[in-house]
Amino acid sequence: MEASREIYWNVGHGIVTLLPMYLLAVFGLACMAIGLLKRIKVYKTGLPMNRKDQPGKRLLCTLQTALLQKRVTSPLLPGLFHGLFFWSFLILFIGTALIVLQADFTDLFWDIKFLEGSFYKLFSLVLDLAGILAVVLLIALLVRRFVILRHSINEDREQLFMHVLMLLILVTGFLIEGFRMAVTELGTPLASWSPVGLFIATIFSGAKEQSMLLLHKFTWWIHLLLVIGFIAAIPFTKFRHIVTTASNYFFKDLGPKGKLINLDLEDENKETFGAVAVTDLAWKDILDADACTTCERCQDRCPAYNTQKPLSPMQVVSQIGDAAFTKPDQNLIDKIGKDALWSCTTCGACQEICPASIEHVRKIVDLRRSLVLMEGEFPGDEVMTAMEQTEVNGNPLGMGYAGRGDWAADLEVPTLAENPEVDALYFVGCYGSFDKRNIRVAQSFVKLCKAAGIKLAILGKEEKCCGEPMRKMGNEYLYQTLAQENIELIKSYGIKHIVTTCPHCFNTLSKDYADLGLEGVAIDHYTVFLDELIAEGSLDIAADNFSCTYHDSCYLGRHNEIYEPPRSLLQHAGASLVEMERSGSEAFCCSAGGGRIMAEEKLGERINIKRAKMAADLDTGLLVSNCPFCLTMFEDGIKGAELENKLEPKDIAEILVERVKH
Amino acid sequence: MKLLVCMKQVPDMESKFQIDGNGTWYSLEDLAWRMNEYDEYSVEQAVLIKEQLGDVDVTVLSIGSDKVKETMKKALAMGCDRGVHIDDANVFTREPYEIAGIIAEFAKDKGFDVILTGMQSQDRGSGQVGLLVAEMLDIASVSTIVSCCCTSEDVEVARELEGGIKAKIKVKLPALLTCQLGLNVPRYPTLPNIMKAKKKELLTLPGEDFLQVAPRMTTEAMFIPEKKAGGIILEGDENELADKLIAILKEKTAVL
Repeated sequence: MEASREIYWNVGHGIVTLLPMYLLAVFGLACMAIGLLKRIKVYKTGLPMNRKDQPGKRLLCTLQTALLQKRVTSPLLPGLFHGLFFWSFLILFIGTALIVLQADFTDLFWDIKFLEGSFYKLFSLVLDLAGILAVVLLIALLVRRFVILRHSINEDREQLFMHVLMLLILVTGFLIEGFRMAVTELGTPLASWSPVGLFIATIFSGAKEQSMLLLHKFTWWIHLLLVIGFIAAIPFTKFRHIVTTASNYFFKDLGPKGKLINLDLEDENKETFGAVAVTDLAWKDILDADACTTCERCQDRCPAYNTQKPLSPMQVVSQIGDAAFTKPDQNLIDKIGKDALWSCTTCGACQEICPASIEHVRKIVDLRRSLVLMEGEFPGDEVMTAMEQTEVNGNPLGMGYAGRGDWAADLEVPTLAENPEVDALYFVGCYGSFDKRNIRVAQSFVKLCKAAGIKLAILGKEEKCCGEPMRKMGNEYLYQTLAQENIELIKSYGIKHIVTTCPHCFNTLSKDYADLGLEGVAIDHYTVFLDELIAEGSLDIAADNFSCTYHDSCYLGRHNEIYEPPRSLLQHAGASLVEMERSGSEAFCCSAGGGRIMAEEKLGERINIKRAKMAADLDTGLLVSNCPFCLTMFEDGIKGAELENKLEPKDIAEILVERVKH
Repeated sequence: MKLLVCMKQVPDMESKFQIDGNGTWYSLEDLAWRMNEYDEYSVEQAVLIKEQLGDVDVTVLSIGSDKVKETMKKALAMGCDRGVHIDDANVFTREPYEIAGIIAEFAKDKGFDVILTGMQSQDRGSGQVGLLVAEMLDIASVSTIVSCCCTSEDVEVARELEGGIKAKIKVKLPALLTCQLGLNVPRYPTLPNIMKAKKKELLTLPGEDFLQVAPRMTTEAMFIPEKKAGGIILEGDENELADKLIAILKEKTAVL
């Protein structure tokens, strides 16, 4: 006889079994469908947002991310636990689907059976192994959650319910197999293809056949009820993430990475700007909240959360979800808290790690927009002053605009007004132009370009702040005003290549300005630009050995994924680079992003001090960065941590200019 | 109830100042312009009174070239109802008496209940205009107010005196008040108000129609003070400091 097994063995093939089974299945699926439709209705209370472009790409990406568990398994631990559980559950799902396909369709209508022979043996073995792996993982995950991480059972009842339900489904599944095998397979060579079933069958080998049959039938129905319960529970428990998180992959932001949505300020019918209630957010923001599994990875990495500030990106997302499904007209700003909203540095660590591809930062900026544009509120008077200074002088430092080009007085750098025939425009930014410490960086960069034979020009007093800190703080109006003036100016000179030393300028000019009409201009951050100059042999750097650690600024690193060129520059300079634990895409913010450069940090521990300590612990003596905000924060943080004798902050350009060959 | 706020556009004090060709005022080149700080308090106070009393119409007035309209828009965005721009490109040559004359000429038949001005301008700093306007209109005036509580009949204010002492004063309307730092925190205009401000009435009137008084003062010269020798900061431990100090005293003075 060919290897196989009788489906519906012992429970019967007749209408007495099948009718209630089908009815239960329909009931379970209907519960799921109704539950999900109800949730979709709530998503639709959000504002429209186009996330259906490039459906092919989206689908492919969804399948890859979900099936390969790409986002979940980074970091590998504990992500791999979820990955392995997912894969074993997927195998069990496919196995069950094959049984349904044969028993309820192909065999029923056309007498076609495919669960036979070698395929059946393999099928049986794989499912058994997947099942036992899932059981082990579930127990391990339960232990991790409730014993190791000490989650309170009272607060985590839903999780306990989900774990136990799945465990019961798996265990009853094995019991059914064991009872069946005790009667039909024990002693046959086929039995060894179901090792777990065989193990259970052996335990019951002495029992009476009659009681085995009874037990089998009983467990079969229990198992069925549990599975139906599971299907029905999907929309009503965190099981929904199977659907919502996968959907969130489909509707994710296809980039440019981290780019904010332009507010239409010209629309005269618009009376509100930014978000106060859930209904002011996009439908995707509500789906985001529904896709969140509260895994806490975001808050584990959030610089604000980790310095005792009242912000948890996870909480923000949860609170949005809570409002959407309970009180949609609730004031979200009050619910989340202004201090929490102002604490965000928009560093993007939360989004980078989120296994559900949730976009936290956009929501926070949307809520900030309402505070600034509708209420005229800021985190402090110093921020309002910086905004006003920017309106008057085009920089948040309040320096007279006419002195913007003074730093370059001795360097023979023309302004574009003086000489528009240059290789590239150097967009200096406010800190490079006015901040004493960062002027040294700007000067270093100009000297490096000179050594490489690159003709640079600046805009001088015509340049204005790129608007990034104001935008991230919620002041979309001021941002757009500044951006439009800069764009018009850049266009009027017909310049085709811009280099910045500030990653915030770089990010804004290269991504955000496109929405306001800056096109056909290549924008480079100086690290990439210089790295290319070295590669093509125009810039010659003499290696002179030194030891340092390197800080990936959020806006060069995570926001633009430029990790290698700065490191390559350091290598050329002769660096032996010691990496901090939090580096690359996991780098810890300096505290100045999200417009926080304009604000005093009054809550909790100082982020820049924390980061300075991380760097000082490596004993390299040198903390190298690529961003004027970072440099400013580190100068301050090193003093704050009283590490002046142990650590010096420098920009890459300063390291290179000390070693440039003329 | 009708309120008038007199607002001056001044250069940002961080600007690079140069003396102009005539040598009587600063050059207007390379300057960033903003609302006189003390006038921001006036605008804010007018809007606060409007918010508090309800039926209040606030006019903001500014004298100068077309450029002052930019700053007037901010006052309108902060909540003033209408703007009156008195067109006078030579505003910088006018002494406080003339400026006050222009304002008084405009205000004399308008029945303003309260007139608010800054206590002084950041550039000329004469501190005269507000009080002169009150004299010309023959109404009461209180200078350097740091708190203000207004009803439709009168206004109760606190004045700042020397040494941190404050005086409480009650004045029957109409009255003119000049505003001092500490009176309030000027608001940041909201976007809907910025939009609304674009549609508010902003009337431009010719300056010559209002200039009815003759100047009583002329500016002879304006100059940047000569640079004197800077101070020296000595650093080091006590013995070293003492040695350095003795050396300097010996070298530069006759006391030792």
